[in-house]
Amino acid sequence: MIDVKNLTKRYVGRTAVDNISFQVGQGEIVGFLGPNGAGKTTTLRMLTSYLPPSSGTVSIAGFDVFRDSLKARKQIGYMPENVPLYEDMRVKEYLYFRAKLKGLSGKDMRERIGKVMDRCGVTDVRKKMISSLSKGYRQRVGLADTLVHAPQLLILDEPTNGLDPNQIRQVRELVKELGRDHTILISTHILPEVEATCDRVIIISEGKLRASDTPQNLVNRLRTAGTVSLEVKTDPAAATEKMKKVVGVRKVAKDSVSEDGWCRFTLRVEATCDVREELYNMAAANHWPLRELARHNATLEDVFVEVTQAEQV
Amino acid sequence: MRTFRILLAKELRSFFLSPIAYVVLALVMLFNGVAFYASVRILQTAPSEGSLVTWTFNSPWFYLSYFTIFPLITMRLFSEEQKLGTIETLLTAPVRTTEMIFSKYVATVIFYCVLWLPSLLNFCVFQWITRGMTEIPTGQLIGSYTIVLTMGLFNIAIGCFASSLTKNQIVAAILSFSMILLHFLLGAFMLYLSGQNNQQFAELTSYFASIQHIKSFASGLIDTRPIIYYVSFTALVLSLTHQVLDFRRWKT
Ligand SMILES: Nc1ncnc2c1ncn2[C@@H]1O[C@H](COP(=O)(O)OP(=O)(O)OP(=O)(O)O)[C@@H](O)[C@H]1O
Ligand SMILES: [Mg+2]
Repeated sequence: MIDVKNLTKRYVGRTAVDNISFQVGQGEIVGFLGPNGAGKTTTLRMLTSYLPPSSGTVSIAGFDVFRDSLKARKQIGYMPENVPLYEDMRVKEYLYFRAKLKGLSGKDMRERIGKVMDRCGVTDVRKKMISSLSKGYRQRVGLADTLVHAPQLLILDEPTNGLDPNQIRQVRELVKELGRDHTILISTHILPEVEATCDRVIIISEGKLRASDTPQNLVNRLRTAGTVSLEVKTDPAAATEKMKKVVGVRKVAKDSVSEDGWCRFTLRVEATCDVREELYNMAAANHWPLRELARHNATLEDVFVEVTQAEQV
Repeated sequence: MRTFRILLAKELRSFFLSPIAYVVLALVMLFNGVAFYASVRILQTAPSEGSLVTWTFNSPWFYLSYFTIFPLITMRLFSEEQKLGTIETLLTAPVRTTEMIFSKYVATVIFYCVLWLPSLLNFCVFQWITRGMTEIPTGQLIGSYTIVLTMGLFNIAIGCFASSLTKNQIVAAILSFSMILLHFLLGAFMLYLSGQNNQQFAELTSYFASIQHIKSFASGLIDTRPIIYYVSFTALVLSLTHQVLDFRRWKT
């Protein structure tokens, strides 16, 4: 569906996107992640033919984005960052305008607009001026616009930016539902959302491709997978020293010490071994009262941190 | 063509629904009304050469509207689109850059024509009230409105160009005002030089000097040279606008 080859974008004095290549297959939902300023928006703009690349090519459904621009654009529903909309139009009017631009007409168009308004939950604000909508509703109008011509491919740049938790959940459900018959490339900073919805994750940082795999594989491959949290009553300094010696523990961090002597620790541990038993034995042997011992599996967040700031882990 | 029509309809709609359109319309009606009234008074108090039409189109009030209309009606066109970011949604839909530019340009020209209708009505109403006792030379009217339209084509293109350069409407307005004023003054300067018996400028003047064009067209002399000059420069400035908008995409 999307085929990106050696894509590079240089701005004056800096390279925003540096020689990226990747593919997205038909029907995939792909999360596009990276820290602020990584070049996500720049990449998505090149995919949608808004920005021309400095070098490299992009093809969408077989059409080169710059040589067959109009045909490629017809395949895409693109929602830019911050959802730009015409403030002086009513919601329904805006959707009609956009639908006509994208080649719809007549009864087909009316039905389609009714459907997407329902799907995105904007039917009850259809007569309102766009300038009077709240951020969440603007976002939904933007989404309705991207869906209106039933494109094969959706490219969404931070669609959940600035939404409340309920709406984030709604968008997530919507994305999941749309994923059944669309290819979706979605950029976001909300990682649990990605874990829950995406088949694959692409992580970029400083314009370079850092990882591209399923969330599960990424987590499994992580060197420092998971943490163990531990709460014991003892002298923190001595306990830290002792725990550091346990095989499989990479890092011990003291979180807090309560007034009555309980210390909380978070231990980064390796993926392959479970150190809980040894920690328990250690506590028992040293007569440390123990009131919590739990293991947390690594999440995409850990992957993100590790991949994008490798030197700090 | 279909895309162009859809965009044109949208542009016209946002023109006629924006408050600024009515402010401009009121302003232009006021200026033209005063210009017309002043001319009537001049002809009433003393017999003088020139008709109602020539007096009206050479009055300072006419020039006031000439210099205020263009920045006001063009400043919004591309600046707003760039500020809101809607240019991104527009140009990632199947829309060509030329279609976007022409739809905005043509919509502005249509609005500009509407702005001048009341002043034309002034003449018609005057003729009707006085029951033809005053003669309003049709040739002069045709000449005046021809030059108003052709200069409009050119100045609106300049306004489009200024608006494509910046996100800020105020900056766009100031830019187009300066460019239009500069062009006008350049023409006046040429005229001055040719008045100094510099023969090589006399020929140039017939192309350049807006003030001369207005004078001669208002007296019914329709000259094709200025028309060609304005129309070809319109094409040039519009293609520059296209370059700017595309170049922007290359850079940012
Ligand atoms: N028009 C521009 N001119 C110069 N540099 C730019 C321009 N637009 C973006 N950049 C730079 O390119 C880099 C990538 O920006 P981009 O907007 O793609 O980041 P992003 O990954 O979308 O970040 P965020 O998560 O904050 O949205 C940034 O360092 C930014 O400063
Ligand atoms: Mg971004």
